[in-house]
This record gives sequence, structure tokens and C-alpha cells, in this order.
Amino acid sequence: MLRRTSAYLLSLCFFVVFILSGSRSLATPANKAALEHHFDKFLSANLARCTTCHLPSDHKDPQSLNEFPHNDFGARLRKIRSEMPDDSRDIISRLKRIAAEDSDGDGIANEKEILLGHNPGEREDAPTSDSLTRWPAKLKDFETFLASYHWRPFQPVKRPTVPRIKDTAFARNAIDHFIAAEHEQLGLNPRPEAAKEVLLKRVYLDIIGLLPTIAEQDAFLRDQNPFAYELLVDKLLDDPRYGERWGRHWMDIWRYSDWGGWSGGNQIRDSQPHIWRWRDWIVESLNANKPYDQMVREMLAGDEIAPEDPATVRATGYLVRNYKMLSREQWLEDTLKHTGQAFLGVTLGCAKCHDHMYDPISQAEYYQVRAIFEPHQVRIDRVRGELDRAKNGLPRVYDTDTNAITYFLLRGDERKPDTNRVMTPGILQALGGRFDANNIALPKAAAFPDRRDFVITETIAASEATLRKAETKLQTARENSEDARAAELGHQVAKTKHDELLVQLKAEEATQDSHEWSSTARRIVQLQRKIAVLEAQLKTHEAQVAFGKSEQKLADATRALNDANETRDTEKEDGTAIAERNKAAEKAKREKSEAEKRLKEAQEKLAEAEKNAAAEPTTDFKPRSAEKYPDKSTGRRLAFAHWIANEQNPPTARVAMNHLWLRHFGTGIVPTPADFGRNGRAPTHPQLLDWLAAEFMSQGWRMKEMHRLILKSSTYRMASTTDSASSAIDPDNAYLWRAPARRMEAELVRDNLLHTAGDLDATMGGPEIDQNLGLTSKRRSIYLRIGPEKEVEFMKIFDGPTITECYVRRPTVNPQQALALHNSELTLREARNFAAAVWNNHPAEKEFIRASFRRLLVREPRSEEISMCRDFLAEQSRGRSPERARENLILVLMNHNDFVTIR
Amino acid sequence: MKNKCPGVSRRSFLADTGMGFTGLALSAMLFRDRARAQGAAFLQPHRAPTAKRVIWIFLCGGVSHLESFDVKPELNKYAGKSIEETPYQHVLATEGKDVIGANPKHGNRKVIMPLQCGYNTYGESGLVVGDWFRHVGECADDLAVVRSLWTIHNDHGAQLTWQTGRHPRELEHPTIGSWVSYGLGSENENLPEYVVLGVPTGDCCGGAFTHGAAYLGPEFAGVRLNVDPRNPLPFIRQPENGISSEEQLANLSLLGKLNHLAGIDYPDDANLRARIKSYELAFQMQTSIPETLQLNRESEATRKLYGIDRPETKTFGEQCLAARRLAERGVRFIQLFHGGGGGGDWDAHSEIQSNHTKLSQQVDKPIAGLLHDLKQRGMLDDTLVVFGTEFGRTPGAEGTGRDHHPQAFCAWLAGGGVKGGITYGETDEIGFHAATNRRYVTDIHATVLHCLGLDSRKLELPGRKRLDMDHGEAIHEILA
Repeated sequence: MLRRTSAYLLSLCFFVVFILSGSRSLATPANKAALEHHFDKFLSANLARCTTCHLPSDHKDPQSLNEFPHNDFGARLRKIRSEMPDDSRDIISRLKRIAAEDSDGDGIANEKEILLGHNPGEREDAPTSDSLTRWPAKLKDFETFLASYHWRPFQPVKRPTVPRIKDTAFARNAIDHFIAAEHEQLGLNPRPEAAKEVLLKRVYLDIIGLLPTIAEQDAFLRDQNPFAYELLVDKLLDDPRYGERWGRHWMDIWRYSDWGGWSGGNQIRDSQPHIWRWRDWIVESLNANKPYDQMVREMLAGDEIAPEDPATVRATGYLVRNYKMLSREQWLEDTLKHTGQAFLGVTLGCAKCHDHMYDPISQAEYYQVRAIFEPHQVRIDRVRGELDRAKNGLPRVYDTDTNAITYFLLRGDERKPDTNRVMTPGILQALGGRFDANNIALPKAAAFPDRRDFVITETIAASEATLRKAETKLQTARENSEDARAAELGHQVAKTKHDELLVQLKAEEATQDSHEWSSTARRIVQLQRKIAVLEAQLKTHEAQVAFGKSEQKLADATRALNDANETRDTEKEDGTAIAERNKAAEKAKREKSEAEKRLKEAQEKLAEAEKNAAAEPTTDFKPRSAEKYPDKSTGRRLAFAHWIANEQNPPTARVAMNHLWLRHFGTGIVPTPADFGRNGRAPTHPQLLDWLAAEFMSQGWRMKEMHRLILKSSTYRMASTTDSASSAIDPDNAYLWRAPARRMEAELVRDNLLHTAGDLDATMGGPEIDQNLGLTSKRRSIYLRIGPEKEVEFMKIFDGPTITECYVRRPTVNPQQALALHNSELTLREARNFAAAVWNNHPAEKEFIRASFRRLLVREPRSEEISMCRDFLAEQSRGRSPERARENLILVLMNHNDFVTIR
Repeated sequence: MKNKCPGVSRRSFLADTGMGFTGLALSAMLFRDRARAQGAAFLQPHRAPTAKRVIWIFLCGGVSHLESFDVKPELNKYAGKSIEETPYQHVLATEGKDVIGANPKHGNRKVIMPLQCGYNTYGESGLVVGDWFRHVGECADDLAVVRSLWTIHNDHGAQLTWQTGRHPRELEHPTIGSWVSYGLGSENENLPEYVVLGVPTGDCCGGAFTHGAAYLGPEFAGVRLNVDPRNPLPFIRQPENGISSEEQLANLSLLGKLNHLAGIDYPDDANLRARIKSYELAFQMQTSIPETLQLNRESEATRKLYGIDRPETKTFGEQCLAARRLAERGVRFIQLFHGGGGGGDWDAHSEIQSNHTKLSQQVDKPIAGLLHDLKQRGMLDDTLVVFGTEFGRTPGAEGTGRDHHPQAFCAWLAGGGVKGGITYGETDEIGFHAATNRRYVTDIHATVLHCLGLDSRKLELPGRKRLDMDHGEAIHEILA
């Protein structure tokens, strides 16, 4: 245990200090960092300390390492700077330069001392002759290390050279070279290409998420073209169902969530209604092969890029999704945390309360990034065909306050803002790049979305409809009745309001305070006063009618009471009826006086309205209710998006390619896709990931090209069968000597139950489907609602996405899945539909079994399997119908391991 | 269904439903790697066990050791003073010891916070326990408290460390529960051998890994259950127009045969093995689980013992009682989470007094009830109860709370094979470092395995290198 602990201690030393590039900082602490950078694991724990370059001071609590005097090694490291050419004064070059020198004069060269764990600046600390015997072996190791590939995820991508390999027969493209190089290094034997039917199932599920039909299977299996597979890959990548399949992958990474809240959406607590528009944008963008960098920019700043284009603006659903009614703090925290993790693979969220403990992110930088998002808010714009934004609309972001202030929060505590530290927007210095934000003037359609032509047209149409309704009411009202008077007034209100709307719209077009505007404004004031009078008349009329009724009611009640009193004189009456009628009469009296009071109030209001109307009209009208927003945006998010989606930003392309790889092979090259920092795991194939990133960018950030490369590689096409020699070396298959077997994700399980039975509704896009319809809806699972406390249980059981964080799915195997797949009404119904449909086409037992195996498991049944199934059908048909037996057989096959397994 | 086909055990179910010779041969093939790995010791304890099963209680977020089972009166004496002003200033010299990525802010937690609750001595052993755990204190003479634990990570990823022994950076590794499941197999084939109750650790800090099995394969992972008998497992019954239990049995029989046959080409497929097992288990659990979770079959007195009659203790009380019923029926490892999700409820960076008061109320009585109940039924003799958390909390104040403190924390064990009424190991006077008899997380694992009669070194798998640290060393001093 002790050995292990010291290894941990050593690694601890590496983690606590980040290595800034030598040229940035000449402050002495960088020397220590540089030593670690250069010597890596070769630097022993006792050298990973300040004292390697500095002498300890007596000073108890030094504020800066500059207070320490340098030792001989440190002094030499500093001095050599002036002797070197300007362009190679970096610390690594200087270290190399003095490696063979003997700074402390103990007779042993600096490098030798360091590699053997001794201080090159301390004369008393010299290696013994015994330890010097280990020098040649140590040097060899060290040279191997220096020659190895150095993974630097926070430095810009440089395209590595494709390695040469011995087994050139294996390699189809560059990917295979990188993979095979590791095979050769480790002595792994790559598995041969998978059987055609295995590959067929794999590639269909990987690209479009649906099993091939029997016709599609036949087409591929019978195709003699040597490039049949390549053609199939191209065909599937052009299939719009690719967007649905991969859309869900990216929805995981970008944290898609439908709205959360209560009572039919009356209180929205999380995300926003209609966020599905962003989902559709994802699917459509993927199908259009939109460049990834453009997608990132649109999600972060679509409203600043194309403010007049709803098709682009909907991309900002990425930000809208973080909306939290109960806490703006949490809202922004989530936005920062996941923007850092999803696009950059840095755990930015850690720096909220303190400087990042592993990666080069200061707490101040966190708040600089926060300042980028501080001004933004969410809103819902009207969309064509629906004025009620609760029913339909476009959720999006916009900058509401260009002067929003961000304070540095002490220890990340929102209750403790440091009001002396106002944070300016900025980026993470360690990743390089620039941040240039400029205010963006927004067009009228963006700032005043209700002035868009279609909104005006529809608003006028809605007003006309109201007017028509009032007209109809007027025509059907009985003459001279109270209703007729009310209808007449109602009609006049509707008509005047309609007129007012038209004039309001006119006023909005006029220049404020111009002559035209003033006369229009006065006209609006006149109309608004007229409306007030008409509405007061209507109210007065209604109050008058109500008063009349209350008078009548009182008269009736009084008469009833009198009658009862008279009855009492003549007949037996214990007083109950009188008491009741007394109560009723009292009530009627109260109501009458209340009605009288209301009438009086109405009359007063009417008098006031009439008085108002008689006055000279002003221009001070009440504008119509319409959505109006600032006419400029800070441009901060756009600048930030340009910084991220940039060839010079080190992690961006690497992170994207790692996500792509992860979803083709089950594990990322970096196994922690949301953490490329020092707390994440090291990549298995760093060169390959860098190469993919470089290739991705040079292909114009287009994902389909990268899918094509991966899918056409020999690496992807390997069989998943085992090999005992390779398994002994690499039991986790980290170095991909075989294809990894995977389980269908939740969506695929549900979609393929529907698809194989011929029941899948292929409709694409549109509003999300209620979570309670998860088992009955026939649509693809990507369209099912998933939000806080709103998800389909069946999906959850199969490890469906979690909305809080889902950078990688972790498929499990458990009895709950067995119960869901065997006992759910979904499987039962689809098994029955499947059995009926297949029997219809193959009304012979053996053919039925064969077709069912092919459709569900994408393979021919073995003869032993056929006989097992025939025995089952025979057994089950006893006392039951043969249909029922067949349905049960299909239910079994839908639960077969080969159904959910991707080999 | 159980009534209709009595006594169908998992193995006989496979063998008797027409598997025939081929099926059995294939089945043997599928499982051969595991058998080979364990040699003759397969499913046999390596030594005489003192416990047959484990109830593993885990409090998420970091319970203060200082106010629970390692009370430090010196904190009251020096309250408000900086550690540097006390005779114990030396503790700061080795502050970040053993912790990877130590919290640099710890240096700021120097002003000592007094104890936030009172304390008392309990039992013949005179164990000192903070008032937040007075009911558990009453069981003092059954507890073996380990006060000298340390862990390796200073954030809530240490929750994963408590289950696997590894730094959270190393992601997935077999949990102690999965080793028990792997090493001992099932005592009752109608129930999973490894059950998870309560809300587990959030995804930030280990998530499903905290009850996973990593390379042992998913068949040895924990199975999560709700304690509600009406809905212990979704889809536990066929829908209304569903198939009969005879049809179900026939389906599962055919499915078992087909799945075994399909395994010919993939003899090393752990997922296939797990899936076969999951179907057998699912079928059995349709009857066994609702029966097991019928907590209302327990007497009023028993339910009261667990605090089920009170709103604050109801939830955890039901889980503790369910744990006992599962243990009774032969489940090997019952992992009970409290305060799970996110970083964990016990994470009292501020307002530790109200936080720990509220949370300890939820668990104190139920845990004590569990110990009493096990004892009165004679089950404590062969059931090992372990109480733990991911790390302790700082002696210094963080405002009104205490910060994470991986340098020292405590846990206790009770029951099958451990001594009662003893403490093992010590922290320094202010509870900063585990000082005497320092023990790491896996030493607790080793102690558990020892009691179960297992030797972790004999559970080796080919190609899987385990470190000394993974094995740990049993704490022999607390063994009976």
C-alpha cells in the first residue's frame, strides 16, 4: 500500500501546478512547472519542489517565491537566457541547453542528477556510485519518453504524421494506421472483418438507428459490388433518419430538456415550452451536414448572427434550456458549467468557488465568462399561425441589459458579491485566442417582433374575427331587449377597438413626435377615450339590468315573507319557513343595495369617461400590448462563440471528434469526454485524436465526412469475437483489437420494436409527445417528452438520457429491463402486430421462423434454433390458437440477447 | 405465479425446462471463465465465515466525524482560536498528506469551530457519541468504531472511493458489494444477491459506478429497488390483456435456451451472462419482491422500532426494515444510501448545526432500530452492519459549516464477526489527522470480506492486476 501511496503523492505534485508555456511567464515558479513538464514521471517527488531551483529561506511565510534566493542551478537557468537567440529562450530549450552542465559543481551533470532524483543545484546532494549504475537504463527510458507523443489538449491541434505499420493489409485509411501501430506495439492481433450480416446490422443501427428490413438485407447481402459496403455507408449518411439518430447523441451532449413545471404549463420552472424547435434545428442541421463550428456559433449566438431568421435563432434553445425560474444563479451556473464541458472538455464549473484545482482556470476567469452571459434572457417570439404563445412560439435568447454587471462572488457565494470587483467579459487565457465583443444593432424585426408582417396581418385578422363575432351577436339579439342593447354596445366596442388597432399600427410606423405621428396619436387618444365611454356605457347598462333584477328579487322575497306571515295566522306554522323567508328577504335587500351601489359607481365612471372624452385630445396614448425588446445586443456571446468555434482553440475539435468516436465505439479516445483536463483520463490514442481533429477542421468541420472515414476504416469493420491471446493483454479492448459489442440505447430498443413490426410512424419533427404516451405513441423516441419529472419510464429503465448531464451513456443489464421488455404493453402489442404481419407474408412455420429471425436479429436461424422454435410452437399451440403461439415466439425473440446487442 | 409453479429455482429452471445436454454444456461454457478464475474455490468461502451477509449503510455528503463517533472536546476548549494558536499547530505541517489534489482552501479553515452538539458516554464500554446519534449510541456495546480512517480525494467523488477503494479519477472499479456478490453467489435464487436501496450517489460523484461491478460484469452489479410494495419494480406484472403465467414460463424457458445457444460465438460475453441471469431473476422477482417488501406485515412494535410511525424517520426506517427483510431472505449485500443525489445531503459547508440535526434525525432511530431488531432475532450474529460516509469534516470553521476533510473520518461495524463496544485507531486531539493505526478505505473492505470468509487475493481475475491498495488489510483488532 505504501508504494501505491507514494505514487499517488507523486502524481499529486503534478496535478497541483499547471504548466504555463515557458515563454509566457518568466516568474520563477514556472521553472518548477517546466521541470515537471520536461521530465514528467522521471522527476522524483523530492524534486518536484521549489527547492530544486531555490534555496529555502528562513522567512516563515513568504508571499512570493521571488523572495527566495536562487541556487546555482536556478541561477544558471536564468542566466543562460541572455546567451540564447530570441526565438528559443523558452524554458524547455534552456533546460535542454544546460542539461549536460554541472551547475553545482559536484561532478555530476544536471540531467543525470535530476533523473536519478538528486538536486542539480545542491552540491551536497549527489548520486552515489551505486545509483549511477542505473543511469544508462534510466536514460534509455527517458529518451523513449522524450520521443513519445505528448498529449497537450490545451495547445492548438497540430496534425501528427500517420505512423508506418508492418501489417499494411489491415489498413484502409489513416485511422487504421494509428490503431494498428498500437496493436503492433502491444502485440495484439486485430480481429478479421465481421460477417456481412453483422456489419450490416451494426452500420444500420449506428447511422440511422433502425434495423434493416429483409429487403434491405437482401439488397446488401446479394450485392456483388466490391464497394457495396462503402456505398451503403454513403446511402445511410444521406438518409434523413441519420439526423434523428445522431440528433439524439448531440441532444445528450447539449443537454436537451423539455420544459418543467406545473398545471398544464401555467408555471414554467425549467427550460421553456416549444424547445422542440431547437431539437428540430439539431436534426435538420445534421442532415444538412452543417459545419460543426457554425452549429456551435448558432447555438451560442444565433440571435446575434441572424436576428431576423427564426430558423437560426431557434438554435439558441441550447441556452434557453438552462432557464430556471427559481434561481438565476443556478441558471447561469449550469450555462457556464456545461458550455465548458460540452464544447471544450474543461470543467469550468469547478472555478466558481475557487481557482480550478487541476486545470489552468482562475476563479476570476470564471466570472469573466459569466459576464458574457450576464445580459442574456429568454423569451418566446410569436410564430406564423398562432398568436397565443402558450400554444406555439419560438423560445430564444436575447440580451436584455447591455449594462448588466457581473461581480466576483467570494467563494462563489451569491450572497457575497465583491462589489469592488466588476468583471469584464473575457475568455480562458490558457486556451489562447482573442475575445472582441462589439455591440450589435438589431433590426426592427428582432427588437420589435410583433411588427413583423405576419404578426400584424394575423393581429388584424384576429381583431376582425372579434368584430365579426360581435356583429353576429348583434344580428341574433332580440330587438329592444336588454341583450340587444348590450350587443349593440359590445359591437361598438369591438368596432372602435379595431379602428384603434389600425391607427396604433399606423402610429408605430410614424417617426415619434413628427407631425404625422402627433395627429395619429391624438386620433388614438380620441379612440381610446371613446372605447372607455362605450365600455362604461356597457358596464352601466349591465349594472342597470342587474339592479332591475335585484329590485324584482326583493319584491318577490317580500311578498313571500308576507304570505308566510299570513299563513302563520291561519295555519300551523312553527316559524321555520318564516325564518328562512326572512333570511331570503334580508339577503335580497343586501343584494339590491349592492347592485345599487355598483350602478352608482358605473354611472360615476361613465360620467368621468364622458368628461374625459370631451376634453381636448392629447398625444399621450396607451400603446397596444406588443413584445418589444432592446434594439442592440452586446455581441459578447458571438465573440465567445467565435473564440470557441475556432481552429486555434485547442480542445474544440478534439472534444467533438472524441464524442463522435465514443458513439461509434462505445468509449471515447479520451474516456472522460467532458473532462480533457488533469482530472480526466488520459487518451488511449492521443495521436489519432489529434489527427481526427486536424482532419475534421480541414474538411470544414463537416461531420459526415468524419463518419465516413470512421465507418469505412478496417478498425470499425472488425468482428467483435474474442481472441484469447489479445484478451490476455488487453481485456478491456482499450486498444481496439476487436469491435466492441454494445447494447442498443433506450431509443433504439423502443424504435426497433415499432419498426420491425411495421408500426413506426416516420413523421419527423414537431412538438414533443406527452410522456404518458410513451408506450402507445408510434413516433420515434427522440420526439418523446423528456424534462424535469417528465420522462418515459421504459426509456429510463434502458438507461435513457438524464437531462442534468449525459456526456456518456452507461448501459446496464438488470432485471428491470427484462421485466420492461417482456411485460410492457408496448412489446406485447408489437409482438402481436409483428406476428400477424409476418405470418401474412410467410404463412408456413419454418418460413415464419426464418423471416422473424432475420427481421429481428438480422441473421438466419441455426437449424437447432429452428427446431427449438418449432417445438415451442407445437407445445404452445396445444390448448391455444396457433396465432397466440406465434405471438409468444415473437415476444421471445424481441427479448433475445441478439435483438438488443450490437455486435 | 409462485403458487402455480412452486419451487422452481434458477438452476433447476434452466435444467428442467428442456435445456438438454447441449444447453447444459453451453451453459457450462459460458460460465467457465469465472469458474477457472476461482478454481475449486468457486462459490466456496476461503475460510470459515463469521457473517453471511452485509448491510452497508452509506451517508452521502460527508458526516462530521467530530460530532458523531469521534468526539473531540478540545474543539470546545479552543473554539474561536486559530489552530496555529493551539498546542496542536503541528497538524498543519502535513495538511495535504495522501490527498490527491488537496483543497488549497483548507489552509483557510484554521479557526476552530466548537462542537455543534453535545455528547454522552454510552454502554458498558463507555463509548462517547455525539448527541446527533444518541439512539445508535444506545447500541454502543455492539459497535466496533474505527476512528483512524483517511481517504484519497477531497471532493464527493470520494463516495465512489468508499465503494471501490480507488480514486474517482479511475472511474469504474468493482465495488465491495460486487466482490461479495461475485465471491459468494446467491443464498436465495429468487432474489438478487446485491440490492441497492435509497437514492444513490449523483452522477457528479460516481453515479451508477457506486453500485456497479466494472470488469466483474453487470451480473454482479447492485439491483436497485423501491421499498414501495405496490411498485417495487416497474412492469412487474403483465398488462391486462397479457399472457398467462404458464405462457410466461414457456417463453422464458425458450428464451434461456436461445440465449445460451447464441453465446457459442461469444463465450466471454459478460453482458450475455448478465442478461440470462437478469431474465431468470426477473421471473423469480415477480413474486419474491412484492412479498419481501410487504412491510405492513411487520408488527406495530417493529415498525415503531424503525421509526416508521414518524414522518422524519419514515423513509429511511422503511429502507432499514426492508434491508432486514432482504437480509432474512438471503440477500448477500444490501447497500443503503441516505441523502444521495448530487454531492450528497450531509455536505454541510454552511449551517452544519441545522443540517446535521435534521439529517441525523432521519437516520439515527432507524439505524438503531435495525441493530436492535437484528439482535432480537438473532440475526446480528451472522449479519454484518457497516456504517460509513466518504470523509469527515474540518475542525476549522467554514462560516457556519465545516469543509470536506479527507484526512480523517470514522466508520463503525457491528454484528457477525466483529467485537462490540470497542474503538480502534485514533485521530489527533482536534480530529485533524488519522494519527494512530491509520487505516484506508480498503481496510474496511478487507475486514468485511474476512468476516464473510473471503480472501480478496483468491478472487483474482486473469488479466486484472489489482494493487496492494485494492486488497487492503483486515483490521484484526476488531474481529471477534
